[in-house]
Amino acid sequence: MDWFVINMLNGVSYGMVLFLIASGMSIVLGAMGVTNLAHGAIYMVGAYAGWTVAIKWKATFGVGLLVGGLSAAVVGLAIERGLLRRLYKQPNEQVLLTFGFVYILSNLCLWIWGGWPRPPFTAKFLTGSIEILGRAYPKARLAIIIIGLLLAVGLWWLQEKTRMGAIVRAGMDDKETASGLGINLERAFAAIFFVSSFIAGAAGVIGAQLLGVRTDLGLEVLLLALIVIIVGGVGSIQGALLGGILIGVIDAFGRAVFPQFAMFTMYLTMIIILIVRPTGLLGRKI
Amino acid sequence: METGATQEEQNRWLGKILVSLGSLFLLCCPLFLSSYGEGLMTRFLIFALFAMSYNVVFGYAGLLSLGHAAFFGAGGYTVALLKLHFGVDLFWISAPLGFVIAAFTAALFGIIALRVSGIYFLLVTFALGQMLFSLAWNVKWLNSKGMQGITGISLPDLAIQGLTLNTTWYYYLVLIFFAISVVVLYRLVNSPYGVALVGIREDESRMAAVGYNTWLYKYLAFVISGAFAGIAGVLFSYYNFFVSPHHLGIATSFLPMVMAIMGGVGTFFGPVIGAVVFIFVENYASILTPQRWPLILGGLFVIIIMFARDGVGVYLWRLLSKVTPGYGSIKG
Repeated sequence: MDWFVINMLNGVSYGMVLFLIASGMSIVLGAMGVTNLAHGAIYMVGAYAGWTVAIKWKATFGVGLLVGGLSAAVVGLAIERGLLRRLYKQPNEQVLLTFGFVYILSNLCLWIWGGWPRPPFTAKFLTGSIEILGRAYPKARLAIIIIGLLLAVGLWWLQEKTRMGAIVRAGMDDKETASGLGINLERAFAAIFFVSSFIAGAAGVIGAQLLGVRTDLGLEVLLLALIVIIVGGVGSIQGALLGGILIGVIDAFGRAVFPQFAMFTMYLTMIIILIVRPTGLLGRKI
Repeated sequence: METGATQEEQNRWLGKILVSLGSLFLLCCPLFLSSYGEGLMTRFLIFALFAMSYNVVFGYAGLLSLGHAAFFGAGGYTVALLKLHFGVDLFWISAPLGFVIAAFTAALFGIIALRVSGIYFLLVTFALGQMLFSLAWNVKWLNSKGMQGITGISLPDLAIQGLTLNTTWYYYLVLIFFAISVVVLYRLVNSPYGVALVGIREDESRMAAVGYNTWLYKYLAFVISGAFAGIAGVLFSYYNFFVSPHHLGIATSFLPMVMAIMGGVGTFFGPVIGAVVFIFVENYASILTPQRWPLILGGLFVIIIMFARDGVGVYLWRLLSKVTPGYGSIKG
């Protein structure tokens, strides 16, 4: 029983990080039709910035979280405003350009921070563990679950209940009509990209507890985000949440049951979902 | 230059002249190149073949695949595994098997990936390629002892009496396969089948309405393209003496795409031009600053996309057909 609960908690906390990683990319893809392969690299920038502030400069974890999110958001916004903006509706070009930034950002991080991987870190008050069913369980993982849930609710509210969310959904359904009604889609897109990159950067700081901080995160995180998006479906917070938790839990039990082939449980899930529901569990057609 | 017809005629002549000059150069270049330059040319031919195969799916069928290295790597790993576990050096066993296994992998992945289209297709092919990557990374049988990847591959044995292959011979072997592939692929994309593929790229629902089984057309393109990528992989494995999981993954999948876009998507020789540019920039950049090569590569993507979106090859072609107004008279 406690074996089950512990693995479940592991899976859900990992799933929350996956959700945070995938949600921004999924929204950008769904709302703007932009395939941003640099999303994982933006996550990495956030992780490094957060590490520098929280560990190297010994500021608090909260400040690190904020700085990580903001620096990622600035990088993301610069890419969008400077270059991606000119490539709407050109998926080939978007893919190539944003993958170029995977190389650029990874190499810049290597240049600035050096090649040695940073050990996982978290907030001071979250180190240590509490007892669950007679087993010590790290507090930080529980905190990730709580932060993830809060963010999920916040994003869902943003998507369903605010004007910006309405614009996103309108833009997803019919861009021409939306801009014909006088909605400034350009500005909305910039805002979406900013928020999505901010979440990615913050996820980099939160996820540092599980994934560490390395220069090869850009690709690894991108892959995770893609799998979550394929499973959950493009363009919605709910899809990213469901996909993230599902993949997280399956991965956790996969690791516990057959550690050697853990990675494949993820792919296997993806392939099964594709065969049964090609647009993902909660996906809309794009 | 009086009418459009002569312009077209003239372009055809220009094309023929360029192809003949190119072939002549490829045939003769080992005579005056150092062995390093020869290796570089071999590398160029292999990647040009890879990019051309990719272009069938990407340029002609309009499917944005990000997992093409899976087939390239499948070919390469076949050669490497036969050598590692069975000591097979014989080209006539390894190469056909590599080709078949690459085609088989493509047939399998095609069934999964072609269930979706557009951006989803890209995501799925990407993930499938990464699946092979992680397979090659994790399974012991797929690696040499104590390392990631398979080493110890040597130049192939052609079983011809008295001939031991050196790098020059190998260059010509690659050239032969390159030439055969060029002819086959050229015929393919200019056949009714190839024209139908372009039709599907432009408007799939219309082609379906006219009665084409568009899924089958795309599927065949995917498998054929994968099989030729497999040949490139086989040739690469012998050339490189080493295959690594990265040759199955995204880092390699991007190369043919970059080359195709760089040279000109949907034009037949565009990817070859792209491969020329790429291989030589790669070579000089990695000599000058190996540490910063990814930075330059990424910068190259950005510059190409922002400033040379039609492709360098297309640009050069336009320039050439403009500055050679007199060639029309040669045919006289």
